[in-house]
Amino acid sequence: MRKFFSGEKWSYMFYTISHPMDGYYWIRHAERGSVPLAVLMVVLFSVCFTANRLLASFVVNDINPRAVDILYELAGVLAFYLLLCVSNWCITCLMNGEGRMKDITVAVGYGTVPITLVLILSTVISQFIADDEQAFYTLLLVVGIAYGVIMILIGIMQVHNYTLGKTLITLFLTFVALLIIVFLILLLTNLLGMVYNFFRSIYTEIIFRT
Amino acid sequence: MINQKLVRKIAKSAAAFLLAVVTGVTAIPQEAQASSLPYQPYNYNYWEDIVFTPAAYEPRKIVSGLDFTFEGEPIGAFVTPQDLCKSPTGDVYIADTGNNRIVVVDSTMTEVRRIITTFDNNGAEDGFKQPTGVAVSQSNQLYVADSQNRRVVVLNEDGTLARFVENPQSEVLEDGYQFVPLKVSVDYADRVYCIAQNMFEGIMVFETNGEFTGFFGTINVEISLWEKFWRKLATKEERAKSQLFIPTEFTGIDIDPDGFVYASNIDPNGEQGVRRLNPKGQDVIKKGVNENVGGDLWIDGNTDYSGPSQFTDVVYRDSGIYSCLDKKRGRVFTYDHEGNLLYIFGGLGTQTGTFRLPVAIENIDSDLIVLDATSGNVTFFNETEYGRLINRAVALRYDGDEAQAVELWERVLDLDENNELANTGIGKAYLTAGDYEKAMYYLELGMARDYYSVAYRRYRNNFLTANANVLLSILFVIIIAWVVWRRIKKKKGIVLFKKKGRKGGSPNA
Repeated sequence: MRKFFSGEKWSYMFYTISHPMDGYYWIRHAERGSVPLAVLMVVLFSVCFTANRLLASFVVNDINPRAVDILYELAGVLAFYLLLCVSNWCITCLMNGEGRMKDITVAVGYGTVPITLVLILSTVISQFIADDEQAFYTLLLVVGIAYGVIMILIGIMQVHNYTLGKTLITLFLTFVALLIIVFLILLLTNLLGMVYNFFRSIYTEIIFRT
Repeated sequence: MINQKLVRKIAKSAAAFLLAVVTGVTAIPQEAQASSLPYQPYNYNYWEDIVFTPAAYEPRKIVSGLDFTFEGEPIGAFVTPQDLCKSPTGDVYIADTGNNRIVVVDSTMTEVRRIITTFDNNGAEDGFKQPTGVAVSQSNQLYVADSQNRRVVVLNEDGTLARFVENPQSEVLEDGYQFVPLKVSVDYADRVYCIAQNMFEGIMVFETNGEFTGFFGTINVEISLWEKFWRKLATKEERAKSQLFIPTEFTGIDIDPDGFVYASNIDPNGEQGVRRLNPKGQDVIKKGVNENVGGDLWIDGNTDYSGPSQFTDVVYRDSGIYSCLDKKRGRVFTYDHEGNLLYIFGGLGTQTGTFRLPVAIENIDSDLIVLDATSGNVTFFNETEYGRLINRAVALRYDGDEAQAVELWERVLDLDENNELANTGIGKAYLTAGDYEKAMYYLELGMARDYYSVAYRRYRNNFLTANANVLLSILFVIIIAWVVWRRIKKKKGIVLFKKKGRKGGSPNA
């Protein structure tokens, strides 16, 4: 456990945020990243996202607090994270990507850190702004999210040793793969449900006849 | 020791007993509020969730044709009555459609003033055939939409014929057009506004002399991009077979004292069931915070009972308040001039306060009366304390007297804690009074984001001006401390954080 969350891993994560090109390169080639730390960052991102929805001031917040459920959102974010990593791994395996599964999880996980930071910052700032200053709040969020997305893009590019064009193509294919996986899961659960219902109806039939 | 324990025990039980007595006394209900209504009054909040409210109106009595006698004779039940209206003198005119007559009763609906079945048409006796609409002008002339005779009959106060409005002539009407008036209304200049059967172009307007001048308040058809796309793909035969894009028809009209026409219509999207038409025929209604003046917001489902509300009549009441009658679920929706939904009551059924097929609504002072075609009766609703407070507070706000409305809004909050209009009203008053902290509290409860923002900005400015010296001192101290710290650090070479680990990513660096 010490190994995964050591000070060296933490400080290297922040180095990666400020130097994504170099940082991600050595994550792939010198084991400088940490998968548990990346997962922790995704969990933190989810928590901060929910916190922003609940705690941002009334002026900027038009979200029904009753519609916010932290566990539900955490499950959703983690499921999406898992799906994204798996489908990206599937596609890049076929497209000469050099990255391993753990490099992909680290690349995406570290990429959420700037978004998390900006969510915290903007939630605090929102307490002090009136309506026509809402633009600052939005700008801050947009800049943070854009930085995070660019980081994820660079991360995937570096761990697979791709060019930018190839990264974009694989990302598009990743989303296609993601949809296929979701479709297959739905199909599977549906069919399993039918099988279950079949045996269940046999069971009820027998129960009623005896 | 034992004594002490005993004393403590006695004290404890005495306290418990006292508490029980006190709560028991206060728990005695001051007034039985259990609803005897056949429906649960509700409203929609900012989040479009249903919140249950006290009743704003309560059914007081039901009057049917069987309750009346005229000149000693019972007048008999109403047969599918379609419309009612009130005259400037306070009488109520009921279009008893199935019996081909107009029944005039007094405003309390206890006695019949007269029954109009015939009139003198140039020496010959003439009557009505399925009269579906009535209206009374400010000069007390009676306008009857005599649907199967294809004319609007105008009668003087003494029952003599004034004129007919019939057979409209215009280039915009197709040849052989059959004029079948269903509902009629008349403004201060005796212009006649008429809703005619199968006339989708809008409300037909006739000048005082009976000349047809044109359509009014045409509802534009909205074709979505998706529908356009499909029409592009479809062949000519398919297009011919597909449903026509026809604008919805108007269903009821009322005219306010300023000459604005309130017209209800059936909106298949459930967003706008009523229009407020200015003298040019443009819709100038305000739709409120939920962008909706179409009745119920929860309309999903596949049963007969689901789907958008179908407004069949509208009545302009006073101070910008108007009520719409939904025949789909038998409910009455009341809005203010800003389009806020004030309260909802009514339902379908056979109990007092519910309807089978409501067709027309009218107000008599603060009461509302609803005509039911299938049951052939009229239900009286009178306002409760809750309804009266809301009506008066909204009227005060309409007149720009928000400060006076506060007291009323506070009493509304006693009855209905979560009333957003009341919270906003109180918050706005505090905002004008300069008590920004309280204003923020109430405006947030009322979900009035714009006003809250104004209140917050002023609160913040006040706070900054009041505490400017403290804040600036703190800032000054911090800057000084930092500068001093830098000097000391430079001199003595203190390192606060030891840089750990390698800089850069390369393992060889």
